[in-house]
Amino acid sequence: MTRVISSSLLRAAVLPVGLLVLWQLVVMFGTPSRRAPMPTHVVEAAWALIGSGDLPLALIQSFGRVLAGFAWAAALALVLGALMGTYRAVDRSLDPLVESFRSIAPIALLPLAILWFGTGTPAAAFIVGYAAFFPMIVNTIHGVKSVDPQLIRAARTLGVDRLTILRTVVLPGALPYIFVGARLALGVAWTSIIAAELAVGAKAGGGGTGGIGQMMFVFYAYSVDLNGIIVCMISVGVVALVIDRGLRRLEQWMLPWKR
Amino acid sequence: MKADAFDGRRMPERPRHGLAGYRSRRLWDAATGVGVYLRTMVVFLLVWQAAALWIGNPILLPTPVDVAESFVELAGTGEMITNIVVSVTRLVASFLLAAVIAVPLGFAMGLNRTVFEMIDPTVELLRPISGIAWIPLGLFILGIGDALPTAIMFYGAFFPLLINTITAVRSVDRSYLNAARTLGVGRATVLLQVIIPAALPGILVGARLAAGAGWMSMVAAELIGAPSGLGFAVEWYRELLMTPKVLAFVVLIGLMGYLFDRVLRAVQRSLTRWAEPRNA
Amino acid sequence: METLNDAAPKLRLRGVRKEFVLPRTGERTVALEEIDLDVKRGEFLCIVGPSGCGKTTILNMIAGLTAPTGGSLEIDGKPIDGPGAERGVVFQDYALFPWKTVWENIEFGPRYRKGSALAKSQRDERVRHFIDLVALNGAENKYPYELSGGMRQRCAFARALANDPDVLLMDEPFAALDAQTRVILQEELLRIWGETGARDERRTVVFITHGIDEAVFLANRIVVMGSHPGRIREIKTVDLPRPRKPEMRASAAFQELVEHIWQLIRDEAYAATVKA
Repeated sequence: MTRVISSSLLRAAVLPVGLLVLWQLVVMFGTPSRRAPMPTHVVEAAWALIGSGDLPLALIQSFGRVLAGFAWAAALALVLGALMGTYRAVDRSLDPLVESFRSIAPIALLPLAILWFGTGTPAAAFIVGYAAFFPMIVNTIHGVKSVDPQLIRAARTLGVDRLTILRTVVLPGALPYIFVGARLALGVAWTSIIAAELAVGAKAGGGGTGGIGQMMFVFYAYSVDLNGIIVCMISVGVVALVIDRGLRRLEQWMLPWKR
Repeated sequence: MKADAFDGRRMPERPRHGLAGYRSRRLWDAATGVGVYLRTMVVFLLVWQAAALWIGNPILLPTPVDVAESFVELAGTGEMITNIVVSVTRLVASFLLAAVIAVPLGFAMGLNRTVFEMIDPTVELLRPISGIAWIPLGLFILGIGDALPTAIMFYGAFFPLLINTITAVRSVDRSYLNAARTLGVGRATVLLQVIIPAALPGILVGARLAAGAGWMSMVAAELIGAPSGLGFAVEWYRELLMTPKVLAFVVLIGLMGYLFDRVLRAVQRSLTRWAEPRNA
Repeated sequence: METLNDAAPKLRLRGVRKEFVLPRTGERTVALEEIDLDVKRGEFLCIVGPSGCGKTTILNMIAGLTAPTGGSLEIDGKPIDGPGAERGVVFQDYALFPWKTVWENIEFGPRYRKGSALAKSQRDERVRHFIDLVALNGAENKYPYELSGGMRQRCAFARALANDPDVLLMDEPFAALDAQTRVILQEELLRIWGETGARDERRTVVFITHGIDEAVFLANRIVVMGSHPGRIREIKTVDLPRPRKPEMRASAAFQELVEHIWQLIRDEAYAATVKA
């Protein structure tokens, strides 16, 4: 049994470790450039960036924007989604708008956001919220619609009023879908905050608005620190992973009847 | 067994009026659908027009009429076509490249445990890093040009395709494999005639997710680091403060994303005609 | 009563055991213990028993889809070590390929089988024959989702037959059908099996079922199984004349057999039902 585990662990490690070693060796012996990043320098850069507090601060700033954007988008999407899922007339009237706006890549709206809100947090929160809104509303509508009408009829015959039905039947039934929507929404929100901050940096000439995307742009454009860029990329990945796993945990805890 | 019995099963709520009645009913449904759509869009455009007039600053919010004029103008000069061709070429090239690599790899990983165990950890390490986070490094390595958006879009499309292929291959119903084996066919036939068709719907779902994710990362990459393409055009006209043209390109980006999804849906439908239609 | 040739059994099971290891605890449970069974050439053998007695496991082992933990299984004196075209299976859930039409499903074996794939013209002729035999005319180009349960069943049956197997293994093939369809298909099955024709042209059939009356109506012999662990309780010969007629179901001999088998498995069937 232990041998099975260790051999599969070995198989898992071969490729990543091999790639890292290859990368290190190629840069050490194969390239003349002093700037070329390599694993040992990346670790050093990570250490320095964490130690100085710059990296944690940037991540917190970006994550704060994600939460701000997600909050308004989720609130709007839940209300509209519940209405569209419940009333056919509302659904038919609003669906064309949702479908039309959904296919616009959120980043394409960044230039507009900069025009409207400047280069600070509101513009970023707008883009993030726009990105998060659609997965959220689509899944909410789907969740509310998928509640078995038989259950609602059963509750009605038991003499329960509408609001209680919404609270005790519709919401728990739709919740699994809403969670899926929230996980997707936070995922794309985190992706778009990076894009937004990068683009703000690239197009508004840097500035002190902060955030992890901004930090990457500064490394790219001013200090030309490729090791720093890779540290940022890795931390972007780690935060994405934490968001995903965290929401899965929350889901398991809040929906114990699922699986 | 008979054709009408079958129709009746699919549309149980509809009374049967014979084929002609059924057709006219469908036509009527489609017509009211278009009517509702138009009503919504007209209301939306009117609200927009009113808001733009109230704000009174065409740089902040131009009227829909301005945007439409810009749209026509850009279409007339050929500038729009040029940018569409550039973006769509990148899109198709990187999407095909991603599919050609990710789908076979997904099959290998889905079918063979050892291959899966060797490659999956690396995939899981890279996957959380979004394509957009690669843009600064990509800019450095590839420079500003065609290569960057193509590479970023490839990366964005790669993982949804790979993950969905692995899942689809792994979740092929065992009973189909057993049925094929008891009919005495070889491994190649099982792969070609059973595993591939059984996995196809899942792979096509992955393809649509990949196109969506890829399109989003590509617009971002064009906006930041490309001298051409739809994303570039949006940013270019913002710097010139020509907001109607910015919006015209934004509309175009939405339209292209929508069309691409429609095309993939049509492909999906035509390749999986055998799948039970979901009740519409 | 018809006599069957005992000399060389088609299938021979000797001391067949099957144990499962529970994934959670690693505990071993005995699903089947020491099964000895001969299936004669051209025989229609039914296996009945309560849920969980390992009927399907026996069938899967004969099909070559599951390996026994101990003992030996032979077909025509040769050990079974995997699935083969000479043993056709009709699965409980039919396992029709959803992406193939009725025609393509039936054509699957003759077209793709290892070694002896048929030429197109021969193949078409054969598929046509079996579509006629199971009365699926007009549904050739339909996909499985467009068929009724009974039609799916007949298609699965035709698919297995078109591959020309010596042995037909059927795992509760009528379980998912309504009562009327089931009765009709039982008679159809006997007709297609060749009840009215010469006896040495009939295939060997192993048929698993929950329904005791179904077993009595169809079988030459009935294997009655018990559970915990799965084992053979009794092998009962059915000496009703062939061809079997629907009226026989009401006869005293028929009812007596049904009652006898029911007595054998009643206690375990109750236990299994109440526990489940």
